[in-house]
Amino acid sequence: MTKIDIYSGFLGAGKTTLIKKMIQEAYAGQKLVLIENEFGEIGIDGGFLQEAGINITEMNSGCICCSLVGDFGKALTQVITEYNPDRIVIEPSGVGKLSDVIGAVEKVTNDEVTLGYTVAVCDAGKVKVYMKNFGEFYNNQIETASTIILSRTDSVPQNKLDASVALIREHNDKATIVTTPWGQLTGAQLLEAMEGQATLAAELAKLEAEHKHHHHHHHEHGEHCTCGCHDHEEHEHHHHHDHEEGCCCGHHDHEHHHHEEEHHCCGHHHGDEGCHEHHHGHVEEHECAHHHHDHEEHEHHHHHEHGEHCGCGHHHDHEHHHEHGEHCGCGHHHDHEHHHEHGEHCSCGHDHHHHHADEVFTSWGVETHKKFDRAFVEACLKQLDSGKYGIVLRAKGIIEATDGSWIHFDMVPEEYDVRVGGAAITGKLCVIGSKLDEKGIAALFGV
Amino acid sequence: MQQIPVYVFTGFLDSGKTKFIQETFEDPRFNAGERTLLLAFEEGEEEYDFSTYPHQNVFLEVLDQATVTTKELAALAKKHKVERVVAELNGMQQIGDLYMRFPEEWVVAQEVMFADSTTFQAYNANMRNLMMDKMVGAQMIVFNRMEKGADVMPFHKIARAANRRVDILYDYTDGTTQFDEIEDPLPFDINAPVIQVKDEDFAIWYRDVSEEPQKYDGKTVRFKAQVAMLKRDKDNMFAPGRFVMTCCVDDIQFCGIPCRYAGSKTLESRSWVMVTAKISAEKHRLYKGDIGPVLTALSVEKNAVPANPDVAEF
Repeated sequence: MTKIDIYSGFLGAGKTTLIKKMIQEAYAGQKLVLIENEFGEIGIDGGFLQEAGINITEMNSGCICCSLVGDFGKALTQVITEYNPDRIVIEPSGVGKLSDVIGAVEKVTNDEVTLGYTVAVCDAGKVKVYMKNFGEFYNNQIETASTIILSRTDSVPQNKLDASVALIREHNDKATIVTTPWGQLTGAQLLEAMEGQATLAAELAKLEAEHKHHHHHHHEHGEHCTCGCHDHEEHEHHHHHDHEEGCCCGHHDHEHHHHEEEHHCCGHHHGDEGCHEHHHGHVEEHECAHHHHDHEEHEHHHHHEHGEHCGCGHHHDHEHHHEHGEHCGCGHHHDHEHHHEHGEHCSCGHDHHHHHADEVFTSWGVETHKKFDRAFVEACLKQLDSGKYGIVLRAKGIIEATDGSWIHFDMVPEEYDVRVGGAAITGKLCVIGSKLDEKGIAALFGV
Repeated sequence: MQQIPVYVFTGFLDSGKTKFIQETFEDPRFNAGERTLLLAFEEGEEEYDFSTYPHQNVFLEVLDQATVTTKELAALAKKHKVERVVAELNGMQQIGDLYMRFPEEWVVAQEVMFADSTTFQAYNANMRNLMMDKMVGAQMIVFNRMEKGADVMPFHKIARAANRRVDILYDYTDGTTQFDEIEDPLPFDINAPVIQVKDEDFAIWYRDVSEEPQKYDGKTVRFKAQVAMLKRDKDNMFAPGRFVMTCCVDDIQFCGIPCRYAGSKTLESRSWVMVTAKISAEKHRLYKGDIGPVLTALSVEKNAVPANPDVAEF
């Protein structure tokens, strides 16, 4: 199998530097051929390539009038036959259209040879003038690329970076845009971006999945988790705290809401007033619990109650059974029951919850290259937790700090963790919850 | 019809065109109040600031070079009642395409090219045709952002190869400027009994002998070439020459010189030969009645080793 990656971008954008970084950090161990169709300002020196075991094929026809005519396809085929590489990296002429290069590559693709990443490297400070004055070929690179990697983002003022990203978005609303200075990123991170795994949608999906996992675990008390979700320990831990703090429902989410809202114990219900009262009467309460997205939490709650104030554990369980439409007379079946339910579709039981979850959750996320101050972030998180912005179940962010380091945060009701962490390809803010005031949240963070 | 002089400023984005034009309009020697149409076909980082001009008779119009029509240009000149035009051209477009659309009364008075020395070589290597386009017609090329002490030869060579008569000015980062006064010795001795043209110098020799045939009149030359037959005079004439690339593969053309040779019929077209011949400057059909170099062969050696690369470059 041969993959063909294309790194387009105008002259001086940094294509060669990027390719060199990728060769060193991301393509290591692969049999690679580099096809250069440009006389770069920075040459990739032979020694480096030799050391990396890379064949270089220069196709220096060079200028706009004769780039990609005729021989390109032939040369490509020849390279594939001769070297049978895992990967071919093409650095096309900076003044050519990316779609033309893709077209030429597609002529040689088959079951064994496929088009890999299509990247456009753009100088962050030049997007506007280049778009205005170059016209077609430049816009074509941006419109066609699946990943746009900005260069020199650390040497342009924030407003210019904003304008560049906005202009790029106007021309391509799908591509992943990398706004972080390359020095802060690993080749693996860039590869992830190119593979389309570093999108906001992916991040949100992950966060939602984590959230659901947590509940589930929670529910099982975290004694044995097989979900491989690292965060969850903390999360559980967190829950435990809550428990101990004496909330009848044990659920952090609820709990907070209870406190803050009307003192109802069974907060899940944010918004689902009818339920709150039931809390103490298991049976009914139970019924209502299931309306909620978090029904596991609810169960959880029950568990606690069993131990603490409630002698009717069985009822409790019972209820569950009812709800699930099954019948079981003993508390132990509680677990069982879940198995039943889930067993049908999923060994992890999450499915079940997912359904509930999807009905009520909303998620909000944004990519941003804005720089944040740590104190500001903490203030934002406190605000998020105030209820003003809806019921925030979880928030997560990886954003660049004003001092150039990166801030990672996780927030669940009444608890947040802000720490220093590694860079991401661009900043991301994600919030999940219900009845989220998305505009308000965006304004809060100033994004 | 009153002629309108057009001052044209060419070069790539970020090459300093706007800044230069801005400073020119600030100079009362150039801006004595003449009504001037300022055409901007490019909008870079620099912007025009009219507030510092000694006179306010400059009228800026921002246009798209690819689509502007003769009518529009003429209408703008009329609208502002201008007596001259200053045009900042788009580096990514061919100059000639715009000139063709200039109204009849517009006459290019001067064409100056700007080039950022920090990007010039890379741009030249990769956008050779666009760079050539700017260099060939310019009266002056300004290489700016030069570091004091930097080697000017790469710039000199590229500019000189494109345009033999152009003035070259180096504009240094310390604010000083320096005219290029480098003499270009030909890579062969034209006073030798037999001028020996090396394979790699063919393009230079061909251009020189074509431009100044009189200089070579009566001299003897020896060079390697490929055989081309003339449409007429097959019996005693052929045209030894080479494929020459000025810009890129698209402009490769065969450059041959008519040569009298009794054995021309025995020559195989495209075969490589070593030619020793006397040069005379005379009229020939190939030169459409003008005077050009015509050779008379002293010897033609067949089976010469092909030049490598076979296409000659400057």
